[in-house]
Amino acid sequence: MQLSRKMKKKYICFGLFTTSFLYGVSQVTLNPYGIKRISKSNIEFVYSQYIGNGDHSAITGGLGTEKLIVYEPEVIINRQIDSLSSYWVDAGIDVITSASMDNIDFVMSSASRISKRGYIMPGYNTKLKKNQNIIIGGNGYFSIESAYRSLGGALSIDYVSKDKSSELSAEFQAFFDDLRWGLLNGERPLRLVYPAELRYKEWFSNYKRNSYNLSLSFTRTINEKMILAFFPGISYQQGLLSTPYHRVYFTDSTERVEKLPDKRWLIPLGIQLNSFVLDRYILSLYYRFYHDNFGITAHTMEVDLTAKISSRFSLTPTFRFYTQKGSAYFKPYFELDPDQPFYTSNYAFSSFNSYETGIDARLAVLAKQKSKLYFDTIWFRYSYYKRTDGLYGHILTLVLDLVSDNSNKINKKI
Amino acid sequence: MRLNWRILIAIALLSFGSCRTVKPYQRAYLNDNAMQINKKNIDKLSQDMHSYKEGASGGGRGKSSGGCGCN
Repeated sequence: MQLSRKMKKKYICFGLFTTSFLYGVSQVTLNPYGIKRISKSNIEFVYSQYIGNGDHSAITGGLGTEKLIVYEPEVIINRQIDSLSSYWVDAGIDVITSASMDNIDFVMSSASRISKRGYIMPGYNTKLKKNQNIIIGGNGYFSIESAYRSLGGALSIDYVSKDKSSELSAEFQAFFDDLRWGLLNGERPLRLVYPAELRYKEWFSNYKRNSYNLSLSFTRTINEKMILAFFPGISYQQGLLSTPYHRVYFTDSTERVEKLPDKRWLIPLGIQLNSFVLDRYILSLYYRFYHDNFGITAHTMEVDLTAKISSRFSLTPTFRFYTQKGSAYFKPYFELDPDQPFYTSNYAFSSFNSYETGIDARLAVLAKQKSKLYFDTIWFRYSYYKRTDGLYGHILTLVLDLVSDNSNKINKKI
Repeated sequence: MRLNWRILIAIALLSFGSCRTVKPYQRAYLNDNAMQINKKNIDKLSQDMHSYKEGASGGGRGKSSGGCGCN
């Protein structure tokens, strides 16, 4: 039976219409907001190690060993639920071997004191269904160690312009810390710990420290090879800002516990420019200005140059220079004036320069298309840090980025 | 060394003055991992160490002035 040309056209049109209608219905029924089911997880294993030494420990009043080894294993799981939302958990344990901590009570029962710190940070973020250019998010934070417990959280909002050339974001963080000793070890009563010879009185009535940070960022694409970002911010801390087991020695040969004001305003402002050079190199320039009401003014400059050795492998030499005008509260060992209202011999508050140089090696592992679990990236960094007062440190970090992707399986079921 | 606000503002104005819209198919360079502005997890220990050993610590992560054995 032969169909006329008119009939053929009618059947073809009807077929196309039916197909597109059914396809449309299935899309609308399953995805009323255009949300695509995704089951993808990124699992990052991070191992870092710091080995350093110096001769200006604040525990012994600005003179004494600062020998320190820190081991930091960490895991970060980021799970994308659908095309709008994802959640993550960041958890880790730091093991700290600090020779200076032994000197809180001068009991040399071990070669050095070992302390531990555990932390967990769960978070969630989502694009708004009605305006997918806006992303809102939040996270909680909990960390504990022998003389510190921190509870906190953050809320954030991001706006990305429709052409993706600009991004504005704001994040507000709050941390509520408890500086009493025995929180991790279960020792009772919980109390602030002072150097052994200064435990004849309570030096501080407050053991809490609260911190509030507002961080803003504005990112702008300059052209297809260049991007610029500004990071203004403001932070406020209130409560016990002194470290109770830091000693200070005065010119009249007396000894006390470090004392700092109980309020601190901090104003950082950063700017970063990333740009592709000659198609194979990426130059990243970063500058940060910082000022606070303790009288510290600091400037940080960083230069990273990534060389794309191949499509999968890149090397990045890094260089950082930091200079700081110190606080008037700082004086070295036995040089503090006993009439000063606030005093410390912690060299972090002194005037100094510091340098850090290192190299990153990053390998993007090619994933097998059918594999559900695969290595995405292997990343290694070594850097050397030196402060002009003699403190130095070696930092090693290894990152293994694993991806678990079941999206195809889920979408086939749908 | 003091912050020169005029230089910063001039850099910002010059940069934004030369901005142009980048089409999705022109974003290959911008999407490269090394071009991303966000701090990476590989920087974390370095940043923590700076916050213990330097005064310009910021207030983040609840650990801006000691409390651990990093002295």
